[in-house]
Amino acid sequence: MSSVRKIDAIGKLDGSRQFLDDYSYPDMLHGYIYYSQKDHAIIKSISFPKNFDFSQFVIVFAKDIPGKNIVPEPEQDQLFLAVYEATYYGQPIMGIAHKDKNILQQFVKGIKVEYDELKATTDIKECLENEKNHFGRELTIDHHQESEIAPDWIRQKHVYYTPHQEQAYLEPQGMIAKYDPETKSMFIKGTCQCPYFVKDAVETILGKTVQEVVVETSEGIGGAFGGKEDFPNVIAGITALLSFKSGKAVKIVLDRSDDIQITTKRHPARIEIETFTDPETKEIKKLDIDYRLDAGAFQTLSPVVLSRGVLHSYGGYNIPDVFVQGRLMHSNTPPNGAFRGFGAPQAFSAIEAHIDRIAHKMNQDPYQFRKNNLLRKGDEFPTTQKITEDHLFDCLERAVEISSYQDKLKDFAFWNKKHDNKKGIGIAIGYHGGGYTGNGEKILNSEIKIVIEKDATVKIYVINTDMGQGAHTTLAQMFAEAIGHPFSKTIVQIPNTKKSPDSGPTVASRTIYIIGNLLKKTALALKKEIGFSSLEKYVKENPAEFPKEIHNHFKQDPMVIFDEETYQGIAYKDYSWGVCITEIFFHAETYQIELIKSWNVFDVGRVVNEKIAVGQAEGGILQGLGYGTTEFFYKPGFGRMHGFTDYAMPTTLDLPEMIVEFIHTDETLAKGLGEIPMNFPAASVRNAFHNATGIFIDEYPLTPENVFKNLKSTD
Amino acid sequence: MKINMKINNKPVTIDVDPMKRLLDILREDLHLTGAKESCGEGECGSCTILLDGNPVTSCILNAIHAENREILTVEGIAQTKAGKLLIDCFDETNAVQCGFCFPGFMVSSYHYLMYDGEPNLDKIKHALAGNICRCTGYQKIFRSLYLACERWQKR
Ligand code: FES
Ligand code: FES
Repeated sequence: MSSVRKIDAIGKLDGSRQFLDDYSYPDMLHGYIYYSQKDHAIIKSISFPKNFDFSQFVIVFAKDIPGKNIVPEPEQDQLFLAVYEATYYGQPIMGIAHKDKNILQQFVKGIKVEYDELKATTDIKECLENEKNHFGRELTIDHHQESEIAPDWIRQKHVYYTPHQEQAYLEPQGMIAKYDPETKSMFIKGTCQCPYFVKDAVETILGKTVQEVVVETSEGIGGAFGGKEDFPNVIAGITALLSFKSGKAVKIVLDRSDDIQITTKRHPARIEIETFTDPETKEIKKLDIDYRLDAGAFQTLSPVVLSRGVLHSYGGYNIPDVFVQGRLMHSNTPPNGAFRGFGAPQAFSAIEAHIDRIAHKMNQDPYQFRKNNLLRKGDEFPTTQKITEDHLFDCLERAVEISSYQDKLKDFAFWNKKHDNKKGIGIAIGYHGGGYTGNGEKILNSEIKIVIEKDATVKIYVINTDMGQGAHTTLAQMFAEAIGHPFSKTIVQIPNTKKSPDSGPTVASRTIYIIGNLLKKTALALKKEIGFSSLEKYVKENPAEFPKEIHNHFKQDPMVIFDEETYQGIAYKDYSWGVCITEIFFHAETYQIELIKSWNVFDVGRVVNEKIAVGQAEGGILQGLGYGTTEFFYKPGFGRMHGFTDYAMPTTLDLPEMIVEFIHTDETLAKGLGEIPMNFPAASVRNAFHNATGIFIDEYPLTPENVFKNLKSTD
Repeated sequence: MKINMKINNKPVTIDVDPMKRLLDILREDLHLTGAKESCGEGECGSCTILLDGNPVTSCILNAIHAENREILTVEGIAQTKAGKLLIDCFDETNAVQCGFCFPGFMVSSYHYLMYDGEPNLDKIKHALAGNICRCTGYQKIFRSLYLACERWQKR
């Protein structure tokens, strides 16, 4: 049954499937989030344009909030609406609504805010380099051995920088809120990853004034990649407040420029790595990492990103002595948030760059050096977690084989001697922990609900959303295959907090890994319990038993114990492994890096739907390549990006040929797949550039300007 | 102002502000919500339609541009033989992810199929260069259109 077609594809192709902006309600108002135009300032006064019928507008400020003006987040420090002081450009100040979109736009243009500007940090380097600038939280993984540093060990210390990255989901963020004053209930329709987060946010901002909040997603969710994990809370809160005040349905859809400027992005990072390597054995003996993220103006969910970041910072190597320190830094820029990989792409962009530096110093090719230091079965992570499989090694061997890596190293060295343009090939490897970090899955206690109807239709109720990753197809497929039921009669319902139990957020590559495997387990148990050969037949023969409702919870393996204080123990029960090898062609005259071909091998355990899985991987790889070569959000001297005209992501003409292979697909467990493809491409390009030119670039992305700067400085 | 046009082969007259964006007219006045707004500045192709047979981004055109012209949207294309073939090819390869970009890719693909149609990867890449997709990495989109070209030729 593998590679069944996606359940939602036809409607997305003929234009009939509804995304958020395709819904409207009678009497609906259009809303706008008015935000600070200063990086840091006291809001002195606000004046509205005169030539409008003011009575037709609904306006909400912080003072109109009946509940709490705090966005529920792992760190509760972000306001829905600014009070008195704005701490970043883009911080929401008020919500405004009107029934006519055009009048609303003109009105907004006429608003004048008087600010008293204060000192602000907007430069990424300034933010990350100033040690005093951190939020106070420090994470350490201390796997120090009291061993002496031998005098002949080679010390290398370098700093790596990674930029902001915009998720650039094609569907901008948006929410519709519909308040019913009679029943005091609030209905929210949204494009989001985590409907229960949104529900929590709306309940927080409205407080006890509403009796019930129901959140449902739109039919189609036009991409998210983490960007619709927590920021929808802010939009939902403000939209709900407008609807509550007006008693009407209100829709807010951000236009692209607002979306890019005010929503969360991938955290810029400064990662300093110091290593000691034994020149005899070419083994890394000691590793010290200082991992810093620019959290933005508020911490919000950054502590969780930091946590995953440090746990991926040391890479897939067996190093006896490791110390990692992680910190969140403050700046006057929008709070950074979730983006596919969640701290790990930064980590691998740094460690994999550093590994190539050591390999070079040791005079060993990057593949041999990696193999020499690789984390193998029986080794331990610095968290003391034991490695139980040799799949990283298998990925590495396979990727090297299919890319003809070793032949290319030789051929390119020869070719490059005779040409100004250069060819290069680079390698990057690693892993991604599936599901919530540490004890997270235990705490989430995810629940699923299944209803078997009288006509033997199986309805699956989970809150996990399908934002394009194909989750609803794959989940249905896992249940259907396990129980032996037609796929066409197994349907995942549109997530709705009133009908779907809390199966946890749609994040952390956990939907298939946690919820899919739970559905499968439930299906198998059901089959065993009732003892039928065909569910359809059984339902027909025993109509009195149906409809039947089944609930189940995810139970974490009791052996999974993680100490949140010391960061020792099992950080993730299962890891996916991956290797990316990329070939480039460097145009010496234009400083352009042309991406030729990228080979990617992953172990994500069982692959349920191969076509969906390959598509996921290809998309992630290209996002990773964009991260490494063209994408950034701030540019010194230019300021921030405003839209798709200046934010440069890959088009159909920029991609290399991408090869994706999955190995060990016959395992029973389907592991995390969504994020791992994003982790390595950036570093693979950077390493390929070194292979081509002999020059190390430690700051991403490798734009022509950046390459030019680095070439000049080594002249 | 009264504006006459033909949309998906049906004559339509609407009374609108001539400067209203064509995309908004389609979506709001005519309830054809297939074309999507993503960037609003002519960069991403999500709002692509055919205007007298040529692919254009409707977010940067105004109502007046449509006066006495013929418009084909994804809804219209989906009803055609070639449109159905394209849908089947995109579906078969599981190319569609979030799908927000796909109405635009459908229109550009249809245009390529009608006016060139050669199964040629390089040409396909150029024909789709005005459409951005953030989910798929494009490869499956190329493959699907390639497949559609082959099948269209054999028909
Ligand atoms: S919305 Fe028209 S080109 Fe992007
Ligand atoms: S499928 Fe999501 S943008 Fe193309």
